[in-house]
Order: sequence, then structure tokens, then C-alpha cells
Amino acid sequence: MSATSGPGRPDARAGIGLRAPHVGELLATRPAVPWLEIHPENYMMGGAALASLETARRDYPVSFHGVGLSLGSAGLIDRRHLERLKTLVDRIAPCLVSEHLSWSTSGGAYLNHLLPLPYTDETLAVVASHIHEVQESLGQSILIENPSSYLRFRHSTIPEPEFLAELARRTGCGLLCDVNNIYVTAWNLGLDAIAYLGALPTATVGEMHLAGHARNDADGQTILIDDHGSRVAPPVWTLYHEALQRFGPVPTLVEWDTDIPELSVLLAEACTADGLLEAARTRGGHARAA
Amino acid sequence: MLALHDLQRVFKDGLLADDEETVLAHIAGDGLGPRARLALYRHHVLTTLTATLESAFPVVCQLVDKRFFAYAADAFIRQHPPARPCLVEYGAIFSEFLEGFPPCQGHPYLPDMARLEWAVHQAAQVAEVRPLDCARFDAIPRDDLPSLRFSMDPTLSYVSSPWPVDKIWRAHQEGAEPAELDLSAGGTCLEVRRVGDGVSVRVLDPAAYALRHALAVGAMLEEAAGAALTVAPSVDLIGAIQKLLQDQIFTDFTLSP
Repeated sequence: MSATSGPGRPDARAGIGLRAPHVGELLATRPAVPWLEIHPENYMMGGAALASLETARRDYPVSFHGVGLSLGSAGLIDRRHLERLKTLVDRIAPCLVSEHLSWSTSGGAYLNHLLPLPYTDETLAVVASHIHEVQESLGQSILIENPSSYLRFRHSTIPEPEFLAELARRTGCGLLCDVNNIYVTAWNLGLDAIAYLGALPTATVGEMHLAGHARNDADGQTILIDDHGSRVAPPVWTLYHEALQRFGPVPTLVEWDTDIPELSVLLAEACTADGLLEAARTRGGHARAA
Repeated sequence: MLALHDLQRVFKDGLLADDEETVLAHIAGDGLGPRARLALYRHHVLTTLTATLESAFPVVCQLVDKRFFAYAADAFIRQHPPARPCLVEYGAIFSEFLEGFPPCQGHPYLPDMARLEWAVHQAAQVAEVRPLDCARFDAIPRDDLPSLRFSMDPTLSYVSSPWPVDKIWRAHQEGAEPAELDLSAGGTCLEVRRVGDGVSVRVLDPAAYALRHALAVGAMLEEAAGAALTVAPSVDLIGAIQKLLQDQIFTDFTLSP
């Protein structure tokens, strides 16, 4: 199958992140979920995992949500990893490809976390050049997701949403607006989540993410941890509603990565999001600025 | 202001080397202090990578208990963080690390158990390659046979140990009958390979092990046969080689110059 025969952008409906414990049940029951998203890193070895993904791909649009490119690392991008991603893109023809505004690799060590960046002109140049390289290699534009943050660097000079907007302007990439991440980051760093949404250029938002977070106590303060381990929290649903008002109906994905529940629970969360998307569609007259 | 490259280096050191002070100076407090904020990242890095190792080495984890495993994993991750983002490839040198890890000295069979588990993990993950077409093998002139080198099924590994690691491994699989484990029960020579959707762990006699292991590490057929004869001078070599073909463990071959 070639990339050109892919289904293109998924409908503005709510899909689910497909994780290993659900693959068997999904393939056996083929629930009516409009699209799926996977982490390509889990399929790069080939083997049985890839075979099951190819089977799922026959019935569902599949989006790739990368976690390993480390777009924010100073220096060269991991060419071997990019090659492996390209091979998988050519094979599966995903409807979307996304990555994160973060870094994970330094001095040959991959730290398995979406680590925070200082938002400076230097970082902007580094990330933009890596996005260019990835888009060039894959032959398609990608979406960049806002990370969950637990700290801010003193020398950051550019607010995160403006940083993302500038990346989109320089590279033509779209944005993946992770509503839960905005909520978590705003709480942890004392920002205004609504103002954050308002600073994102509406026309660039090609996908939204929803997930649960945990509340942890750290030195007597409540810190929100983006653990994808529970239902979407009520204030995140409220923020999602705001995002739909602003961006209109955009393909939305529910992620669940720790304490993974029955597939039916995840599908029910997607169904809730789908209801809000449907309402946004009927409302219609949203102001989707150019 | 640190350049991005240097900031990432000191951040990494702050996470893995407990050399926090340099990076802390660059982190804003904003209520919660920089040290506590950095600790949130460190906790995630160490716990998720520990979970990755636990899933690749479940029997080692059971043998030493989860808390000790986490302690060993913490030291391993700090010394040998993953080099690449595909984490199913992470842990290849965990067995070597355990060998040199002083707190493990009382469990001398642990490194071999880790080797066996890595072989099982690999066999389950890697992509299969079509076996060698026997007609191609049959067409090789007889005189060339001794100098053949083979590519093997990539799901194959060979593990030998002076300890009965296969018996210990089996006794710790889900649903296994509880068994008395006798560490003095002697060593074992194992072939690990994917079969269908599962992974087979098979005991080989020492000569078959010597033959197959030598071929797997790139020896010519003649050298591998020599290795088998050294272990068992009366081995039926022709039979052992025919068995290799029956088992379809080759995917390709080259003639040594």
C-alpha cells in the first residue's frame, strides 16, 4: 500500500489510542470507532505487533503519534530513527503523523520522556530545522503537540503557544492541541489555560488530544501529572468545550496509557468526545479564523 | 544563558548522575522549587525504564523481588540509559551489568537467567525472515560445503549455563506447577526461537549446541563441525547437519573465499 492511497485526514470525530492490551479485542470485535492512533516506535521491530497493526489498518484509519524523534535536541536528528519511521509510514499510510515539542536525547542517551525546552530563538531555529527535515523525508506535513510541563526555564523568552504558532508559520506544520496538556501545564506553571488556547492560531490545529491526569502532592503543593491513567477530568472536558468553540470540530483522540481499563471504558470516553464534536458541528457558526 | 546543547547535557546529568546543582540554576521556582520539579522528571524516566526492564526480565524480577530489581534497574539505567527510542531493544547488556553488580554476587545464576530472558524477549520481537530454500543448498558443490557460512533465523539465540536456568525459568512461568529447584542439578545448553506465536526454549545436547552456536557466531561449517567434535568425538556429524536443515534454521549462506 502506498502513502497516496491513505485516507487523508480523519473525519472530525473521536478516535482512541490503540495500546497492546486492547489489540486482540479490537481485532476480534471491530468496534465502530472512527480512527485509531498508535506510537510508531512500538511497531518498528516488525514481527507480530506490525502484523496486527496491518490487520487493524484494513478497517480503520490509523494515525502515527511519534514519541522518539526528539525534535528539540540540539544537534542532528537521529537519521536511523527517521528512516524507520519513514519505512513504517510507507507501509501503513497513516492518516496523520504527529510528534512533540520536546526533547528526549542528549549525548547518545534516550531518556524516555518528553522533556521541556527553553523557549528561545535558538530553540526555535533548532526545532524548525528538525521539523523541516522530517517533513521533507516523509513527504508530508506533520502536527506538533504541546507538551505537559512541570517546570519552566528562567531564560525562556517566548510563551509556549506563540512558540508553536511561529513553528507552524516557519515550517508549515500543523498543531496537535493536547487539551489535557494545556490544563496540566497551566496548573503546574501558573498560566491561564483559556488565554493559552486563545493564542494558538486556529487554522493550524489539525487534531486534539484528551486524557486523564493525576493529582500529586509535591512539597505540600498539588502538581498535576500527565499520566494518561484515568478518565478525562471534568475541567479538561470544560476546556475541550472551549477549544471546540474556538477551533470548530477537529479530529480528537482519547489516550489511556497507565492503569489501562477495559476497551469499553476507553470507547465510552471517545463517545463522550464524539457527542461534543457533534454538537460543535451542529452549532456550525464557529469562528475558524484563517 | 546556556546554549541548548549544554542545557540538555546538564539536564541529563541532573536526571541520571544526581549532579543537580548546575541545571537547577536554570529552572524557575514559580512556587514549587526547582529541585522538586526536576525530581518529577527523574521519577518518570527511572520508573518507566524500570518497567521496560521488568517486562523484558520478569523471571529475574521474581527471583530477586521487585524492590531489589528496581534498585538494580536504577543503577543500570543511570549507567547505561537507552541509546535509541525503540525500547523493546533496551536491556541487551543487562545480563553483563548484573554479572558485575556487587549486590548480585550471591545469585551467580542471575546473569544467565537474564541472558535467557533476553533471548526469549528478542525471539518474540524481531521480524521473521523466510528460511533458506533447500534446493539452493542441494545445488552447492560438495567440495564447497566445509567453507560455507550461514545466516540464521534472526529469532534464534543460544544460551548455555552451568546452572539449570531452563528449569528455573519454566518454574516461574504463569501457571507453572510449583517445583523444588535444585541449583546443583547441573548446567544446560539451550536453543531459543520463535515458533508460531510463541517462543520455544529447547534443551540441546552439548554437541548439537556447539555446532549450532558456532554457526550462529559466524563460523564456517567445517569449523563448527570441529567445535562439535571437540565436545563429543563420537558425534554423528552428518545426522546433526541434516537436523539443521530439517529445523530450517538457515535463511541464507555465503561461500568463504
